[in-house]
Amino acid sequence: MSDARLLILVLALPFLGSILAAFLPTRARNAASFMAGLIGLIASALLLSFYSTLATGQTVRHVAPWLPSLGLDFTLRLSGFTWLFALLVLGIGTLVVLYARYYMSEEDPVPRFFSFLLAFMGSMLGVVLSGNLIQIVFFWEMTSLFSFLLIGYWHHNQSARDGARIALIVTCLGGVCLLVGMLLLGHIAGSYDLDVVLGRGDIVRAHALYLPMLILILIGAFTKSAQFPFQFWLPHAMSAPTPVSAYLHSATMVKAGIFLLILLWPVLAGTQIWYLIVVTIGLATLLVGAWSAIFQHDLKGLLAYSTISHLGLITLLLGLGSPLGLVAAIFHTVNHATFKASLFMAAGIIDHETGTRDLRKLSGLMKFMPITATLAMVAAAAMAGVPLLNGFLSKEMFLAEALESQSGTLLDWALPILATLASMFSVLYSIRFIHQTFFGPPPVDLPHTPHEAPHWMRLPIEILVLACLVVGIIPTLTIGPLLQIAVRSVLGDRTPDYSLAIWHGFNMPLLMSVIALVGGVLLYRRFGGRLNAMTNSPFIGRLKGRRTFETVLAALIDGASALHRMVSTKRLQVQLRILIVVTLAAGSIGFLTYGYSVGNGPTIMLDPIFAVLWILGGASAIGAAVQAKFHRLAALAMVGVAGLSTCISFIWLSAPDLGLTQLLVESITLVLMLLGLRWLPQRLPEFWPGGRTPFNVRLRRGGDILIAVAAGLGAAAIAYAMMTRPEPEGISRFFLEQAYHGGGGTNVVNVILVDFRSFDTLGEITVLAIVALTVFSLLRRFRPAAESVELPVQQKVQNAFDAGREDREHGDTAAHYLLVPRVIMEWMFPIILTCALYFLIRGHDLPGGGFAGGVTASIAILLLYMASGTRSVEARLNIQPVRWISVGLMFAVLTGMAAWLAGYPLLSTYFSYLELPLIGDMPVASALLFDIGVFSVVVGTTALILIALAHQSIRTPRAPKPEKAPDKIPDMEGDT
Amino acid sequence: MIQSPDLPLWAAIIVGIFVLLGASITLIGALGLIRLNSFYERVHPPTLGPTLGTICILVASITCFSTLQSRPIVHELLIGLFVTMTTPVTLMLLARAAVYRDRKEGSPDVPQE
Repeated sequence: MSDARLLILVLALPFLGSILAAFLPTRARNAASFMAGLIGLIASALLLSFYSTLATGQTVRHVAPWLPSLGLDFTLRLSGFTWLFALLVLGIGTLVVLYARYYMSEEDPVPRFFSFLLAFMGSMLGVVLSGNLIQIVFFWEMTSLFSFLLIGYWHHNQSARDGARIALIVTCLGGVCLLVGMLLLGHIAGSYDLDVVLGRGDIVRAHALYLPMLILILIGAFTKSAQFPFQFWLPHAMSAPTPVSAYLHSATMVKAGIFLLILLWPVLAGTQIWYLIVVTIGLATLLVGAWSAIFQHDLKGLLAYSTISHLGLITLLLGLGSPLGLVAAIFHTVNHATFKASLFMAAGIIDHETGTRDLRKLSGLMKFMPITATLAMVAAAAMAGVPLLNGFLSKEMFLAEALESQSGTLLDWALPILATLASMFSVLYSIRFIHQTFFGPPPVDLPHTPHEAPHWMRLPIEILVLACLVVGIIPTLTIGPLLQIAVRSVLGDRTPDYSLAIWHGFNMPLLMSVIALVGGVLLYRRFGGRLNAMTNSPFIGRLKGRRTFETVLAALIDGASALHRMVSTKRLQVQLRILIVVTLAAGSIGFLTYGYSVGNGPTIMLDPIFAVLWILGGASAIGAAVQAKFHRLAALAMVGVAGLSTCISFIWLSAPDLGLTQLLVESITLVLMLLGLRWLPQRLPEFWPGGRTPFNVRLRRGGDILIAVAAGLGAAAIAYAMMTRPEPEGISRFFLEQAYHGGGGTNVVNVILVDFRSFDTLGEITVLAIVALTVFSLLRRFRPAAESVELPVQQKVQNAFDAGREDREHGDTAAHYLLVPRVIMEWMFPIILTCALYFLIRGHDLPGGGFAGGVTASIAILLLYMASGTRSVEARLNIQPVRWISVGLMFAVLTGMAAWLAGYPLLSTYFSYLELPLIGDMPVASALLFDIGVFSVVVGTTALILIALAHQSIRTPRAPKPEKAPDKIPDMEGDT
Repeated sequence: MIQSPDLPLWAAIIVGIFVLLGASITLIGALGLIRLNSFYERVHPPTLGPTLGTICILVASITCFSTLQSRPIVHELLIGLFVTMTTPVTLMLLARAAVYRDRKEGSPDVPQE
């Protein structure tokens, strides 16, 4: 089945095009549209090649295993119906691209537009071609996202932003419901594979979870297809450029809900509850949409409400649950796409050439743009259901089905009447659209003098209108076979006999059609003149969809912030206390339930030197805690001592790797913290009046001490109980045995990091990168407390001294005093870097590795910054930390992905020996490349934080002269 | 503690003497840090450790490992070089800070600019 793989190409092409378009220059209108059009044509051609296969009733499938353990595969599936729909997406997409080339202005960043449009096309194809429920939801969400971006394309426009926001929130709300619904459906059917699910309709309909699942999926479909009561987002989406309205909001995206209902129709439809919900909603939408459309003064608004009403009509057809209804639904979906897209394009031309879309201002355009007028008239006639046009055929089917409805409820006799009424409204607004725009006296006060649009801009409309005519006149020869394939693929054996003939003899549907047509004309003659004066649609105008939406949204946001105020705090102490108390409580439950006992493992004599080391470390830690509030510098020094004793303990216990890493990390964190000290507010000399701490404060502090001691003792007790028990059989033995044979390294710690558990490491360096970027952006906006804005005393003295002497430049004193240390530290820079590289390269076999090397390199950079000062370092050496981070991440990911080329899973490693002249055999593992990525990320991360801190010092606001090289040394002294 | 039975007696004696000597010198420096009075006096004794003390220990280390592995091991020279080079940096920075502080306080012990 090499054929099936073409589907991947069809799906991938628009996305590739989207990425390419994003990189085109801003004004490349022709290149972008040409590429987009070409992609549409190629993908359509590829799709057409499947016709012969599908004509025999087969389904084309391409399955690529993705998460087989969870039963999830990446499945592409092409059946007759999805083929027809995909063709619609690509065909109309291509026409819209051509149209947009002429519609979009020279000044707009057009490649961005085409990039979004192509990405949308790809997402929509993804929805249509997916053969897996979860995959459908994924692409479904992507269509919402790109619809958002396209509606908000003119983001300088408030209404565009609002419309985009409303559309996104409504459709994403539906998306969440759909996801849950799909999960339920997959759970009920026992598989997420669409073909399996389609085969288990009876099980699904009989299941207890059928109702919640149905409601959730329907909410998803109804929000997307703008069904009542979610219809309000669609008119607001009309702030999008008109090609977007023609493509997304009439022809394709809003049909996604319909598509889904048709796709799942064999599984979901046929129950009483389905009938009730879907028919009611469809009917309500049909009437509300048609009624509102009559009273719109905006051309696009009228078309939007008309779209809503037609979508309601299709939903209604699906709700009826009869096979013939489904045939009519599919047929009307295609027909509506053709005539509505052409009408939108015509509206766009009118807007483009006259400068307004207001029906009240437009008039008599027939003389100025006769061709566009003719095209629009034919399309509008199709919308109204005039015979010999495609809209007539599907409307006849609809009316026939409305008569056939047999549910035994009130709807049976109401349906035909309401259907005729809605058709009448449809005729009415179609006539209004045409009559107001093209007939009557010549227009006055238009922003532009109207004239005919360029030929290429009209071509898409001409093609679509031609399709309307051809399908309307010779349906059996044109749409007949396609419809047959589509219907058969959904219904299978239940495919009914239906006739696409134009003339069925005198029967009820024809009579209803005639009533609708004549009624519509009469109504327009009677009331047409008054419509322009109305500002709101009667009855329906009271339904303030948007206002309700905003109210609900505001209530949600208010509720969230109220909840936040209630349960949250900005003070770290409180949060920390809660965390520790909860942990303590959770731990105590274990102790209290199972008791505490010390294990009987072998104990060793305590070495007195080791004991002294630990007493020293522990005392320093306690001292740091005591001093933290009163003398931060001393506290940090003691933290350093505690860290060193940990480091020595590691070496003592034969873990040189950990010891080395601990030493490096200890140094760099300590120095970074010292650099931050400068910006902490100074301690208030006398916080409590009279030096007397109030009782409640002392109580709180005492409580905190108790909590801290209890938590510390608890942790120690747990550790002691653990360590006195025999070690359980873990995986460490595997690591020790396999490190050399499997990973090619003798440093087990490093082999674990970059080979056995490299996926974890990849995650960790990603987190590291995120943290660095967060710290950077926080510090970039950081404004120090008012009392620490001022320069430290020492710097002020120095600056005053420099300023007082004629022979001295600003900052000379500091530079002079630091001369010798600076020279030495600058000498050390290359040496430390060499050491870092050495750590990196030998890491696989000896203590070291990417992390240790990276920290070492950052220490070198840090020293350089401290010795020479920010400005002078950056004048000579441009470290680009973000680039280091991105290169590192890319290195790690690409190394991991290289394993795919050799047919192994992600992050598999390879190693062998490389013979170098002079040096001899050198072990080379692909893990080294990965480690280089780790190295680079660590360097970038640390340097980014360092630079953020350093720049904090050189942008002191009240500096009389541009600050030069603030030496960090006074900073360390600054904590007085 | 790790024993080293392969070390011949003469080497063991040399190593022992130098290790003890280095440790004692460092200890003397540490005691001086505690006992001396002003900052400027105290700055000096700790330098015994990084200089003389380190050299003694390094000599012991070179002797020990060169004998054990029957080839000259001189990595320690690098340690000596770097320790000697970098210690003065700390010292100078500390002393400089002290001078600043005392000047600001108008202490008579330090010369004014």
